[in-house]
Amino acid sequence: MTKKYETPLLDELEKGPFPSFVTEIKKAAAKNPMAADELGLLERSYRDKITYWKHGGIVGVRGYGGGVIGRYSELADEFPGVAHFHTVRVNQPAGLFYTSEAIRFICDVWDKYGSGLTNFHGSTGDIILLGTVTDNLEPLATVLSLNGFDLGGSGSAMRTPSCCVGPARCEWAMIDTLHITYDLTQEFQDELHRPQYPYKYKIKVVGCPIDCNAAIARADLSIIGTWKGPIAIDQDRVRDYAKKGVDIQEEIVNLCPGKCISWDGNSLTINDEDCRHCFHCIAKLPGALKPTPPFGATILIGSKAPFVIGATLSWVIFPFMEMKPPYQELKDFIRTSNEWWSEYGKNRERIGELILRLGMREFLEVCGLKPLPEMVKEPRRDPFWFWKEGDLEGKPWESWLK
Amino acid sequence: MEREELKKQIYNLIKEAAGKKKYKQMDVIKHFRNLGVPDAETKEAIRELVDGGLLIYTYMGGSYIELATKLEEFEKKILE
Repeated sequence: MTKKYETPLLDELEKGPFPSFVTEIKKAAAKNPMAADELGLLERSYRDKITYWKHGGIVGVRGYGGGVIGRYSELADEFPGVAHFHTVRVNQPAGLFYTSEAIRFICDVWDKYGSGLTNFHGSTGDIILLGTVTDNLEPLATVLSLNGFDLGGSGSAMRTPSCCVGPARCEWAMIDTLHITYDLTQEFQDELHRPQYPYKYKIKVVGCPIDCNAAIARADLSIIGTWKGPIAIDQDRVRDYAKKGVDIQEEIVNLCPGKCISWDGNSLTINDEDCRHCFHCIAKLPGALKPTPPFGATILIGSKAPFVIGATLSWVIFPFMEMKPPYQELKDFIRTSNEWWSEYGKNRERIGELILRLGMREFLEVCGLKPLPEMVKEPRRDPFWFWKEGDLEGKPWESWLK
Repeated sequence: MEREELKKQIYNLIKEAAGKKKYKQMDVIKHFRNLGVPDAETKEAIRELVDGGLLIYTYMGGSYIELATKLEEFEKKILE
């Protein structure tokens, strides 16, 4: 029998048409004392407008520096079930595919070792298991490991790479997001489990520029599927869309950032040379327009919302990279750039912030890359090219004048 | 430097810094790089110390390497 708490404030959140997290916590609270005390503490937090949680990142599993986020309640005497209430991150399968048997296994394990409360999934992409005690961490990790699961990343480490469903369920996928994610996860196990960076490092892989995982805004390394061939046009289907009420001029032509589409009321023309590969036209006219091979990915670096300078989108580093196993070019780039970041980054400085601090020029030099027009992030800004004395010693202008 | 000697020195570095300075993995690597120890060797020695349960990774805004005894002290303190 678990302890019951009066929860008038939380009860309000059970009203309305949507599923309620309060209802779910109550279900767990009926059989789990940790969940019961979590409910009581939450009601208290709502009443007092204080969370009463202490975050201490000491706990973990031997050999791992990540995967467990320590949580302790300030009201341990009153709510002993949540004195420790650690969060466990479990590395999710790429694309979030499970058998019902696998989900049952995770739920059974969590009923045994934790509060029974989960988040499928956290914003990192991991399976989030909410609330356990320090003594249960080792046995839990062992049971997970014996059944093919592993802890995910946390702290100043590479975080669990995540991706969209990709070719498993999406017609637009131009790269195998699932395989890339799985491969990178296997490759960077050390970086994932042993925090060795100045701060967190997130990789997100999406199959097309629609970017369902918001990789461009949320990942230190965004891998976004793209194409190099011309956009294939099925004129009959374009006309069909027009007949069904799509305003081709307004919704497609006028919204093209490259101004490379024209429509004469009967046929659509695209000047592929000026295409910005934004995918807007293709997404708006599925079936009528299609990207064609070669397929690959645009690699971008450095996004995150809470930068000192404000929210920042990723910056193009490779406009087009072939994405064929074993993805060696990508892996080499990750290692080279992260060595530089580890060497010069300050504590809690993301790689994008270091690039902003030391300059894109230095970053490109370290990575052995040449500046390209696609790297210019915003109009009227060329932020990374300055001449060095050495560049001028060869008098390059003499050859230009000739 | 012999692996065991390196491990001993890393452990002592962390022990002597306890309560005064927190070391990230890269700080330890840089410290021993200045003494002529290759980065990979220091990294491997840290890994052995962590796997052996003598050192742990902690997270206080950033991830650090500290003595494993810190966990017990920490929980005792935080639960008080």
